[in-house]
Amino acid sequence: MSLYSTAVKKPISTIMITIGVVILGIFSYLQLPVDFFPKIDPPIISVFTFYPGANAADVEENITRKLEDGFGSLSNLKKITSKSKDNLSSITLEFEWGSNLDEATNEVRNAVGMAERNLPEEVESPTILKINTGMIPVIVLSVTSTESYEGIKDIIDKKLVQPLNRIEGVGNIIQMGAPTRAIMVDVDPRKLDAYNLTVEQISGILAANNLNLPSGNLEMGSSDLPLRLQGQFENSDIIKNIIISNRNGNTVYLKDVATVSDGLKDVKTYERANGRKNVRIMIQKQSDANTVTVADKVKEKLAQLEQKLPPDVKVNILLDTSTNTIASINNLSETLIYALLFVVLVVMLFLGRGRATLIISLSIPISLISGFIYMYLSGGTINIITLSSLSIAIGMVVDDSIVVLENITKKLEKGGFARESAIYGTSEVSLAVIASTLTIVAVFLPLTMLGGITGILFRPLGWVVTISVITSVIVSLTLVPMLSTKILKTNTPDRKKIGGKIYWFSQNLLEKLDIIFEKILSWAVGHRWAVIGIASVIFISSMFFVKLIGTEFMPASDNDRISAEVKLAQGTKLDVTVLTAQHLDSIFREKYSEIDIVSTSAGVGDENSLSAIFSETGNYIINYTFKMKPLKERQRDIFQIADEMRKDIEKLPEVEKFYVDPGSSRGSAAMGMGGGSNLEVKIYGNDFDETNLVSEKIDRVLKNIEGTKDVLISRDKEKTELQLVLDNAKMTSFGLNTASVATVVRNRINGVVSTKYKEDGNEYEVIVRYDEQYRQSTEDINNISIMTPSGKLIKLSEIASLKRFYSPPNIERENKVRMVKVSSALSGTDVGTVIATVQNEMKNMDIPNDVDIEFGGSAENMADSFRDLIMLIILSLVLVYIVMASQFESLTEPFIIMFSIPFAFTGVFLALYIFGSTINVISLIGIVMLIGIVVKNGIILVDYTNLLVDRGYSLKQATISAGRSRLRPVLMTSLTMILAMIPMIVTTGSGSEMWRPMAIAIFGGLTFSTVVTLILIPTIYAIFGVGKIKRERRTNKKIQTN
Amino acid sequence: MKAVYIIYNQSLTEEVQEILDKLSIRGYTQWTGVTGRGSVKGEPHEGTHTWPELNNAHLTIIEDAQVDTLLNKLKSFNKSIEEQGLRAFVWDIVNMV
Repeated sequence: MSLYSTAVKKPISTIMITIGVVILGIFSYLQLPVDFFPKIDPPIISVFTFYPGANAADVEENITRKLEDGFGSLSNLKKITSKSKDNLSSITLEFEWGSNLDEATNEVRNAVGMAERNLPEEVESPTILKINTGMIPVIVLSVTSTESYEGIKDIIDKKLVQPLNRIEGVGNIIQMGAPTRAIMVDVDPRKLDAYNLTVEQISGILAANNLNLPSGNLEMGSSDLPLRLQGQFENSDIIKNIIISNRNGNTVYLKDVATVSDGLKDVKTYERANGRKNVRIMIQKQSDANTVTVADKVKEKLAQLEQKLPPDVKVNILLDTSTNTIASINNLSETLIYALLFVVLVVMLFLGRGRATLIISLSIPISLISGFIYMYLSGGTINIITLSSLSIAIGMVVDDSIVVLENITKKLEKGGFARESAIYGTSEVSLAVIASTLTIVAVFLPLTMLGGITGILFRPLGWVVTISVITSVIVSLTLVPMLSTKILKTNTPDRKKIGGKIYWFSQNLLEKLDIIFEKILSWAVGHRWAVIGIASVIFISSMFFVKLIGTEFMPASDNDRISAEVKLAQGTKLDVTVLTAQHLDSIFREKYSEIDIVSTSAGVGDENSLSAIFSETGNYIINYTFKMKPLKERQRDIFQIADEMRKDIEKLPEVEKFYVDPGSSRGSAAMGMGGGSNLEVKIYGNDFDETNLVSEKIDRVLKNIEGTKDVLISRDKEKTELQLVLDNAKMTSFGLNTASVATVVRNRINGVVSTKYKEDGNEYEVIVRYDEQYRQSTEDINNISIMTPSGKLIKLSEIASLKRFYSPPNIERENKVRMVKVSSALSGTDVGTVIATVQNEMKNMDIPNDVDIEFGGSAENMADSFRDLIMLIILSLVLVYIVMASQFESLTEPFIIMFSIPFAFTGVFLALYIFGSTINVISLIGIVMLIGIVVKNGIILVDYTNLLVDRGYSLKQATISAGRSRLRPVLMTSLTMILAMIPMIVTTGSGSEMWRPMAIAIFGGLTFSTVVTLILIPTIYAIFGVGKIKRERRTNKKIQTN
Repeated sequence: MKAVYIIYNQSLTEEVQEILDKLSIRGYTQWTGVTGRGSVKGEPHEGTHTWPELNNAHLTIIEDAQVDTLLNKLKSFNKSIEEQGLRAFVWDIVNMV
């Protein structure tokens, strides 16, 4: 017994199974976490090596190169990039997408182990770090305070960080800009010299005085008591009264040679939020935790914790990656509902019958719900890709049910009986329904085989659509015939009732349409070559549109965030930088009412912190993070605001370089994705001067191109360094060596941590160094006293001289060759155009032979993905042809049908141009899908024309009446799809930029190709048919003459 | 004894069976999924993509007296569903075992 007769004969089982699937689907839906994109694990491993005291060139020579050489043989390695700067070498290894990262990590570890032996001794062991999306903070908090500022670190630690860390899924919590309490012992070198003391001695004395030590056990009578010596500082006041020397009978206290202050450690950073002193807390999630879940839990916990904080401490959420996700998902869900509504309306208009519409509408949620079951089982999430897939599926899942229901209705109208009409009506069209679904599957299934970042993004789309469409076939072959036996009615609707009025209105309208279309079609079939000519002209001229449409990797979206970096001249003091920061701060807050919170930071936090991966820090660098008000509450989008901000920053003469990054996409761009478009011109060459020169030329070219923003050269200008040059002969004659001199200088300028003062279980550093006024000039350096092993004090100037020299602050390399990047953000233009312009200009440039230039940035990703997608388009075309050829058992008919595809492209380009969108990964995916969608129209037409020819119609008759009779099904299936796309196009809220291009592509492509298909395909069919008849006649003649 | 050969659109299977049952005609032979077309009009029923419909056939051997009742029933039934297609043919039974 066939599937459909079982379904019809066992209505209860059918309904129960359906309900079961629906319940499973709802269960899955409720369990599904929400995210913006499918889970992406970028195949990137970084290796960081600290080499304290080395400058960029040393780091490059001694670490980066040696490690890079060791990495050459790693399997699946795509690219090595490295950055050598003062103290730090960071190497980024980019593997092919889909490589096993655990294996890769092991290989990297081995390679590091091998290379480590050749590294200098002072180098710290390299850190290997797998980059994952968990590193992008889920929530960034800004903690502002007034009275409690000095003790804020302890408050944050105890009352915020510790409880937050206990939340499931929360990973690291990083504090930035928290002031640290320290006990500063600022010595006066002249007094030290007078007492014949050194910084080291004082440090030693302090350490020796701050000690708790068990001193053994004392047996007293019958008891055995432990003896302890309690020498630790009881309070910080004691320190200044410590006796450091007894000179000529005079007691010298620490306070005689130094000022002791219990306060904040030297502030090397400037952190403000909305102008108030601020500590930033970055909360990361564990890599497999879900952003929205973690963010929700953190916010919930935060509400409780806030009540326990001192009243002047205010916690604000500076960045919450989940809000944009939630807004986008809500937005998309809304469009999904509208799409559903439109589809039901279209079905109602065409069928004119409430009950039939109800049966078909029921198949929509059931098919879509199966998508949720897939997402749940595959460990996926509800994200904008999976939801967009559902939007696309909505328009397609009704098609099969419509075909089945139409045939059943036809049988019923002929006087058939409900059950048999349902069974045989379904049986007659089942093959056709399955075949037409196969063409859709032929397009969507290859999507699941895509590699790279496009694969990760669109694999779920392929699966969700394939599964929904397959479910819809099953529903159309089981539930639809079953329901039609129960609720379908065929009597002609009463003209007086509302339902009847709708029916007659729509039927009359469609009748008129049929007549008009028949007239057009008979003209077209009569003027075949004219039609072909017009079509060719349309198609060819549309190709010129392509040049007017921009290209980009992925559309940028307004996520309420802007970040900016402003660099002053190298070597600018933090205090001076802060002045600029404050000035800009006040401008921004005054001018842009859209800003919710602005967080400003300048200076170096923890020098050795890995947070430096995401942002560059330095005393001359100001970093801004703006949280804007939600999109609905502002007039301007972040791109317009960013443009304005650029103008503001440009006005400041002290600014050397800056960028404004709407959407904060640089972080994610580092991971190989991220929206917006940026262009990188990579200049390879080992000679600094040559590459600098070329980079400046390209910089000028880029700045002159309309639409380029934030043009930056990645290599900073050479910076001034002061170098101590030791006179070896003199140094050794005093019994000193390089190491001892270096330590002495460092202890006096940077300070030495002599011991730790304990209070309430917390430890605070006690730092001894020269008082600030004695470490401000070269004179002060020259005057540093060094005690020789013989106890004699000499001045540093006796054994060393200070020299100024220039060194490159950062050296970047890619695949072992030095590289300078000139990067530019683009808005109002596209990567393709800019590259063409730059290439054109490059011809006139005098570029040395050993300098190579390549384009990168999102251009590189774009080229990779576009190549993948074009392969995919070809693959889909072949597969669709294969499916159709076997369906029709013909080689020419699929070919005729495929004429609708070029016109889909025409429509896509037209629509993209009209809506001002671009060709990007998302719109290209739309094009791929169109291949499957538009041939469906052709199949319906050609299939029916074949049938009529077989039934004995003449060629012309067959084409015209098939066209007329298939007009409604074609319009109906196309309109359901087209209208399902409209909500996605018109919605402008959060995240809409991401899915809009796809919706535009499908809308334009399908609309245009449907109109063309309806006229062109019958015409081409007629031409081929005429040819066939002529050939047959010829062969007949031959037979006769023989 | 007469043989009545009823050939009809398979959509009518249950109804034909019902007619036989109501007349207490027990014995029959049924062919399902048979193809054919009418001599004058009526769509071919070929189970192909072009002519997707199919026929079923009943052959029943009944007493002469029952023949007219059956044919009348079938005739009136056919009137109500003329587009579906139903034909009945009667011939003599010469001998049997």
